[in-house]
Amino acid sequence: METVAAANPGSMPGRSKAEFLRSVRNALGREEGPPEQHYHRLEEDLPLLESRAAELEARLQANRPQLLDRLADMAGKGGWNVHRVSGAEAAIGQVDSIVADLGATRVARSGQPVFEDVPVDAALQLRGIDVVPVVRGASATREELRERMRHADVGLTGTDYALAETGSLVILPRQGLSRLVSLVPPVHVALVRPEEVLESLHDLFLLRRLEFKQRGGEMGSYLNFITGPSRTADIEMTIVQGVHGPRAVHMIIVE
Amino acid sequence: MPEVKTSQFTKASATAMLDPQLRRALDRVGSGFDVARRNAIEEVSWEAWEEWRDEARRIKIHTLDHLDYYLEMLHDNVTAAGGQVHFAADAAEANAIVSHLAQSRGVKVATKSKSMVSEELELNPVLESIGVDVYETDLGEYIIQLAGETPSHLVAPALHKSKEDVAELFANKLGVAYDEDIVRMAATARQVLRDKFMQADLGISGANFVVAETGTLVIVTNEGNGRLCTSAPRIHIGITGMEKVIPSMQDLAIFLRLLPRSATGQRISSYVSMITGPRREDDEDGPEEFHLVLVDNGRSRMLRDPKLREALYCIRCGACLNICPVYARVGGHAYGWVYPGPIGAVVSPMLTGLKESKMLPQASSLCGACREACPIKINIPRMLLELRHRTAESDDSKERASSRSERFLARAFSRLMSNPGRLAFATRMGRMAQRLIPGMSRRGGWIRRAPLPLFSRWTRARDLPQLPAKSFRDIWRDELGNEKGDGGNSGRR
Repeated sequence: METVAAANPGSMPGRSKAEFLRSVRNALGREEGPPEQHYHRLEEDLPLLESRAAELEARLQANRPQLLDRLADMAGKGGWNVHRVSGAEAAIGQVDSIVADLGATRVARSGQPVFEDVPVDAALQLRGIDVVPVVRGASATREELRERMRHADVGLTGTDYALAETGSLVILPRQGLSRLVSLVPPVHVALVRPEEVLESLHDLFLLRRLEFKQRGGEMGSYLNFITGPSRTADIEMTIVQGVHGPRAVHMIIVE
Repeated sequence: MPEVKTSQFTKASATAMLDPQLRRALDRVGSGFDVARRNAIEEVSWEAWEEWRDEARRIKIHTLDHLDYYLEMLHDNVTAAGGQVHFAADAAEANAIVSHLAQSRGVKVATKSKSMVSEELELNPVLESIGVDVYETDLGEYIIQLAGETPSHLVAPALHKSKEDVAELFANKLGVAYDEDIVRMAATARQVLRDKFMQADLGISGANFVVAETGTLVIVTNEGNGRLCTSAPRIHIGITGMEKVIPSMQDLAIFLRLLPRSATGQRISSYVSMITGPRREDDEDGPEEFHLVLVDNGRSRMLRDPKLREALYCIRCGACLNICPVYARVGGHAYGWVYPGPIGAVVSPMLTGLKESKMLPQASSLCGACREACPIKINIPRMLLELRHRTAESDDSKERASSRSERFLARAFSRLMSNPGRLAFATRMGRMAQRLIPGMSRRGGWIRRAPLPLFSRWTRARDLPQLPAKSFRDIWRDELGNEKGDGGNSGRR
């Protein structure tokens, strides 16, 4: 094997794909390849995933109360402060009370649709809190938004999914959701609605793969699981919260 | 590649065992990580755990057996998502790819989240040599970067450092006041590194898994530094060993259950980040460029070797370190290269060469605890035996781990054991020696030091069982021999 144009400073060093794969194939003792592989999961087509997703939806609906209990239990074990409230009013009150207890003055809020149903801004602003919606547009560049997030005391988001199995929230790229709102401020508060709750990792990946196929092979740039606060145990195995991400996290389940 | 010091294992381990601070640190590993792991498994039941392990192992076997196929699929899907895939045959090529990307894009500051592969490549000094400031951002990695050291554990790299060490290091290197409060030290690191995240042009990460089906890179972290490294800078480069590919995103459900529980006893880590290509047009933020560097660096040598291929199934959880009686006494640095512990004793000889690392396979009691703890059921003891076999039988004297006298003893032992008359004679002689030579007889049935030529060296690091007054053959002849026919099976005495 010879390096592809390593001597030429203008081009990318490294092997070509063909050459690299040839050496792997060689190590596997094969000349030809790659052979067509039968792997059950990769053979699942769109109709199959759709019918499974429909079954999943029925199962979730039938078990929603138990799923919410399990989510609350596992999220608590995973380090979330869990609050269960009923209705938008109560949710706004809960956000307000968390922000007040912290003595926070600046809140960065994502632009997710949940805040149309749960309009928190007015209540917070009434008490003199500066609420910054982190939405790119004519009024703010990425750099300005980043600065605002850096100086926020609380980051407020919705979620795409909540997993009862692990007590995790799952966020996906949506317009109006910066990845940094849930990460950069020292406290993260997230709203969860019952229809966002899934039972297991299997459920989540089924739905993601379905969307991937429906969108013709587009997965979206990221998927983040958040489970409890940022943690480290790197000094003498002593757990410290809030090393790079938030030190405290609140999950408000709005029933 | 970082300096290979695996040949100094015997000396380094002897020194490590006398270090009281290391002793305290290693005690915490056993009582912390492994107890947490068991509790986490009990919560889901050992039966479920066994099923998950079997499934994960099946997936790994299938993927590695068809690695070329899945690498090609991965390449195509990363590319379709707008990312670029680069292939590196060795460390020099991988470092050249990253340097080329950094240089051609005017990178001044890079932040890194934890990557064992980048330790293996020794990437940081290469980037520094072209004028890039590189900051490790995992707290443990940051500490050892400041100290100019290497990780001593796969999951907890700065395990060997006391809080006093870290306080002194921060005072010297960061110009802050000496403060050994762990919470405040973490806050100092947060503050210093927060600026670096925002300044960085380039974020470098490893990968715990890469998904062929969707072209997705998966990183599992607790601190949130992985998320910052991969969201804030304008370029993200993921570097990973080529064995980290898995076929389907659905396979992740199993691996995400196994890895955090095996590593730290968590149901899931605080953060799992799955990244598929660069930021899309509509995204609020994220890197503009995504590059994936797939590294061979000796892995195809392991792939080629059917007896050692399964070492590539490793997901770097560290469970085998946490349970290993040898690691618990000598720590990670004694192993002399990037990967310590039982799995390191297999991987290092394969990646650095048997000549250098021939002592590592000897550093095991073959108790099998590592295999029991491994979430992928990797048969580490079998591979250690295989490597011992190779070090014993090699035609190249530099690969042989045994001394001339050890080989003489082994040959003598084999001749003795293959002839009943010789064995009986030797047993009589041995008993006599035990009675007559002072120092040979010891309470508890063990000879700690045998003051005889050849044996004295052998017992320097081992105890010999004492010869009993009656051998099994004697008992058989005197007490059981007349019950021939059923006596052997009845268990009566």
